[in-house]
Amino acid sequence: MMQEDVLVVEDVRKSFGGRVALDGASLRIARGSITGVIGPNGSGKSTLFNIVAGTLPPDAGRVLFDGKDLAHTSPAEICRRGLGRTFQISRLFSELTVLENLVVVAHGLSDADAVQRALELLDFLEISALRDKWGAELSYGQRKLVEIARALMLAPRVMLLDEPFAGINPRLQNRIVEHLQALRTQGLTLFFIDHEMRIVLEICDDLYVLAEGQVIAHGDAAAIRADERVKEAYF
Amino acid sequence: MPFVELFIAGILLGGLYALMACGLNLVFGVMRVINFAHGDLLAVGALTTVSLVAGMHLPYIAALILVPLLTAAIGLLMQWLVIRRIADGPMIMSLLATFALSTIIVNISILIWGGGYRGLPTVLGGSIAVAGLDIPLSRLVSFLVAMAATLGVWWFLQATRYGKAIRSVSQAPELAVISGISINQVRNVTFALGAAMAGLAGVLLAPTFASDPQLGARFGIKAFAVIIVGGMGSYPGAMLAALMMGVLEVFAGYLYGQVLGSATVFLAMLVVLVFRPRGIFGMGARA
Amino acid sequence: MKSALLIAVVLLAAASIPLYAGSYPVSFLVQTFIFIGLAYSWNLIGGYAGYTHFGQVTFFGLGAYVGAISIGNGVPWLWATLLAALFAAVCAALLGGIMLRLKGPFFAIGMFGIARVCESLALGLDNITQGGTGLYLTAVDLERVYYAAGAVVLILLIATWRLDSSRLGLQLLSIREDETAAAALGVRTTRLKIGTFIASAFMPGALGSLYACYLGYIDPTTAFAPMTELTVIAMVLLGGMGTVLGPLVGALALSVVNEVLWARLPEIYLALVGVIILIAVLFMPRGIVNFAQRRAWSWVPTPRGHLRRLAERRGKVNPPPKRFARPAQGGNAGGPAEPDPRRP
Repeated sequence: MMQEDVLVVEDVRKSFGGRVALDGASLRIARGSITGVIGPNGSGKSTLFNIVAGTLPPDAGRVLFDGKDLAHTSPAEICRRGLGRTFQISRLFSELTVLENLVVVAHGLSDADAVQRALELLDFLEISALRDKWGAELSYGQRKLVEIARALMLAPRVMLLDEPFAGINPRLQNRIVEHLQALRTQGLTLFFIDHEMRIVLEICDDLYVLAEGQVIAHGDAAAIRADERVKEAYF
Repeated sequence: MPFVELFIAGILLGGLYALMACGLNLVFGVMRVINFAHGDLLAVGALTTVSLVAGMHLPYIAALILVPLLTAAIGLLMQWLVIRRIADGPMIMSLLATFALSTIIVNISILIWGGGYRGLPTVLGGSIAVAGLDIPLSRLVSFLVAMAATLGVWWFLQATRYGKAIRSVSQAPELAVISGISINQVRNVTFALGAAMAGLAGVLLAPTFASDPQLGARFGIKAFAVIIVGGMGSYPGAMLAALMMGVLEVFAGYLYGQVLGSATVFLAMLVVLVFRPRGIFGMGARA
Repeated sequence: MKSALLIAVVLLAAASIPLYAGSYPVSFLVQTFIFIGLAYSWNLIGGYAGYTHFGQVTFFGLGAYVGAISIGNGVPWLWATLLAALFAAVCAALLGGIMLRLKGPFFAIGMFGIARVCESLALGLDNITQGGTGLYLTAVDLERVYYAAGAVVLILLIATWRLDSSRLGLQLLSIREDETAAAALGVRTTRLKIGTFIASAFMPGALGSLYACYLGYIDPTTAFAPMTELTVIAMVLLGGMGTVLGPLVGALALSVVNEVLWARLPEIYLALVGVIILIAVLFMPRGIVNFAQRRAWSWVPTPRGHLRRLAERRGKVNPPPKRFARPAQGGNAGGPAEPDPRRP
């Protein structure tokens, strides 16, 4: 295992009832990279994601974060170790304001510092106007942005993004891409799953393609575009 | 310890629990509503039976038919006024609402029948000899009718078209809609059916036990315990668990006294909640 | 300034009531204080943490019995009350770990079951509790119980107010809103849930003991009455769950309603409480105070305004852009040393 890999997934398996979701998937995510996982529906992407984030235990295999095994670590603990995540279906706290949604995860920061950081993040993502709005009031695209802001409040070293581009218009997608690239230059490692092929092929340094619970292809965008198995699985 | 006698007594009691629990479970399965007032429908059924038979001198058979219809009507009223508006919200709200409905029904029952106990000693008195044992006739009859009704409803759910429609709403509401089933109608029918089952249990209970408006609280809670042990949403689970709990209660009552015997039922529920929240056959309950 | 004056006046008035009022109003207030206290306690676990349940009366009843038995054994009533509170808290600590693992309705019903078990135990273990006959104890001076109950209410009010403006309060609300998401984002949900559960049991234990002192008597039905449970929940529901003023508003409203109705229409006041809860559930599920706050009525303070005020102040100063990611471990982080421009 090389030192540059901040996240390593080793031969992970998971079944639900009789259905096999993941059948021995292995991935390596390099520090400071933007890595994507794509695959048709039912390929096991979400399951993989949840296992890495700690909300699901794998049946077999392991996940190493900075060289340390994440087995038996609670999601809260994994989060505090530096892994931040967003949710595919936005899980903002509806009865809290956007500001409160951000401050509540600012563990270890005083209220003043937390508010400061929250305001800066809102500014960075250009959503300062949403500060006092209730979580329940936001539109779909606004929620996605607040989710990203909230994950960033944790000052993570690795960000897991669950379909960050799904269901939003291209202009907003581009804005998010710019923000993510800006974050990458600050040293953040990004790992995400999505269906939006255009963006995934464009911005990822490294791509994994999942199908039926296994990694069927791995490489940069050009390699993936040319791969026969990918074409078969997807198109 | 008179093992066989206690066991029989337990099974007989369990039959009544089965009728109650299956009705409660049916409503939960279809509507995801836990009807706290289910027990009070039982109480209303029992008290109405006393009024009809002891007060108006109608034959017991008449009560067997009329009372479930009455409680079904009350159930429909509850459904129309309250339940249908909150069934789709968080479960805790429907719990609170039915908790409130329960209070209202109890209070109205106290107004109508007074707070004291009433019995029906003249109906189905005496006992009958079965296989060398002396079994009280009222308990035997109530067991047989209760089990017949419980199994009858089960057959209805499994074998008839409408019964399958009900089950499909409980298992996959979105698909049910597409197949042209009217969800609202199914819910109304289900709730009324559950209420009728509770009422019937009340009729069957009246000759054996003393009835009072607070009966619902005592009996109804045990129905909850039964479906938690059997597994919420599982009809056969509720039946089996009911019989088991009846036996458990009778044995515990013999060993530790009536009060603690009752408590055993709740203890069993707690044990199940802690170690196997799904119950014997049911759906998930863990946070 | 105005609100501080108002509060001082109310406190002074409340403190002086026993000096001039007859025993009936003081009695009424003692009972009201007890309900307010129970409401605030339930608000912690039900309103803030979102773990609503129907078994709070367990701790009230246990407290009542522990208090009564202790006093019967010569313990001075204030110490007995403290003992009762501690006992209730310990019970909550033991129960919490098990019960809090259950999902919403199962937790609620499970706790209800526990209350019934305790009631049965109180009835059945009659060598300790005198069973159905109940325990008699020398009633404590009404005024003293008044001040003790008043003190409990004051403590709870202040505690809730402090909680509401704190990070802890926000974290509890996040658990209420979406526990899985909160956990995934680093909120230590298990620890917080159990702590809140214990806190929600402590004062009801004390209040139970005080109630026994007030009545001079306790029996299983009085100690573990489902009606008490229902009334407390109704108060918090009606007033507003998860707010500072909600339980107070709800408790005062329902206590007055109870008092008026019980005098005039004793037969149906139970049913009317039920109707009130139904109305609250159907039309104002979040309660009066939340309803008012959402519509920003002027007399209701903004909820958790402290963060908003901090933000207002910070907004005036324009801080330089910052890095939002920690450079990855293991030496050289990718990227330039200066922050990126914020606009593309």
